[in-house]
Amino acid sequence: MDIDDILREVDPASYAIPEGTRDLQALTRAWVAERSSPELLNWPVDGLFERINERIKQQIEKIEDMTGDMDPKTNFALIVIQTELERYKFIVRSYLRARIAKIDKHTLHYLSTPTLRARLSETELAYATRHQALLHNHYLSSFLSSFPQTLQNLNDTAGNISMIDTPDLDTAVFLRLLKDTLVEGRGTDTDGGMNGRYGDIVILRWSDAKPLVDSARAEVI
Amino acid sequence: MALPLPSGLVPTEVAFLCEMEMVTIVPRQRLEPIQLLSGETPALRPPHRAEVPLWLALLLKKQRRANIVAPPWLLVSSLQDLVHQETNVDPEAFSPPPPPPMRSDGRGTARPYGTHPDPDSKPGDLILAPPFLPSCTQEAPSGYLPYHWLEMSETLLAHAADDIPNAPDVRALLRDLQEVRAAKMRGSTRHLDGGGGVLNLRGVGAMELAESRGFVLGVVDGVRKIGASMEASRREEEEERAAAGGADDSDEEMEF
Repeated sequence: MDIDDILREVDPASYAIPEGTRDLQALTRAWVAERSSPELLNWPVDGLFERINERIKQQIEKIEDMTGDMDPKTNFALIVIQTELERYKFIVRSYLRARIAKIDKHTLHYLSTPTLRARLSETELAYATRHQALLHNHYLSSFLSSFPQTLQNLNDTAGNISMIDTPDLDTAVFLRLLKDTLVEGRGTDTDGGMNGRYGDIVILRWSDAKPLVDSARAEVI
Repeated sequence: MALPLPSGLVPTEVAFLCEMEMVTIVPRQRLEPIQLLSGETPALRPPHRAEVPLWLALLLKKQRRANIVAPPWLLVSSLQDLVHQETNVDPEAFSPPPPPPMRSDGRGTARPYGTHPDPDSKPGDLILAPPFLPSCTQEAPSGYLPYHWLEMSETLLAHAADDIPNAPDVRALLRDLQEVRAAKMRGSTRHLDGGGGVLNLRGVGAMELAESRGFVLGVVDGVRKIGASMEASRREEEEERAAAGGADDSDEEMEF
């Protein structure tokens, strides 16, 4: 930290949110959205998880250093650091597990098109492909092999009925508006629209809500 | 490995989120800044007040290193106003959420907390939302319930009741608020009759959402599934009408 950083910190005209807060807000928002939306969302592309993992690693190293000297004064600081680390790790873990749950449920769907595959991170893609291959081989060896050749696929779309389960994109979600914006939703009897204000909490179908969330005009809660 | 919880935050997760809210404390002991993942904690110098996240405040409180200052909306007078607002002024909707916190830029203008001055901000700009807005600190406005009001007041009453002035009355008033708002939450599905696609619940709290999430979303989804065939035929009709309009135009063109 040099003198510029210090000056920027005390200058009330600086509106910058500190990076730690930014990343925590981004992580929390991604976690809550993933927990509450019916389909898998895009893996964050701006290097959020690389930064977070790097910082968690550094913090663990710091804790290992600090546990070496048993000074009672640093003892309390150590408790605080460890508590925060556990909280942070909880969000990361819960986020990843929520994603795995969705991938497990609709594996073939998320592997079916390039756009859907792009939502997965590299490790998730490797996991999904391998998991699906294992599963299919298991089915083949246990019962599918005694079926006629034409009935052995798991992704048949014959007869206008697809074997691939897809998430219900019309499931209702709760949204909080982050900007004043027009909210349009499809309903059973009529389609509705409303001039939403900052802070409004609305119930909307996910398919109508997705554009608002993608453009950061609203967040899922 | 996969998360076994149902979709949507469960109450314990909401309480976890609430612990990230900033609260004001009065430290009793000095504590040097600690470098955390989410930034540095403020230096604690008694008797200067400081703002820390709730989880840290609770830790300090438990070790008798600090006292928590109750947020202004949790005082008896503010809660009485709120009960009045919820029962008499507007018995239909929830009381409004707190206005976006403003911050001076030192040149005489005020702007919303944590946003860029540029009115048409870039799409990549991050907008802070609860629990990262200072809605439970000393500067929070009284008479408005923040998003995490129920969890925050419950936690404070459970772990720092001695720091809240007139705690028994606060507890009674909170119960009144909770009951009148729970009735509103249950009644909110009545507005679905119109069948418009959007339902506004401005001012609702996080825990209230978590409690009624299954019920409200179940009703919304149920209504959608019951009316699915009706909706599909309505859409078809509309499309046909639009197509017919278009077809008429093309017919006329054909005549030429």
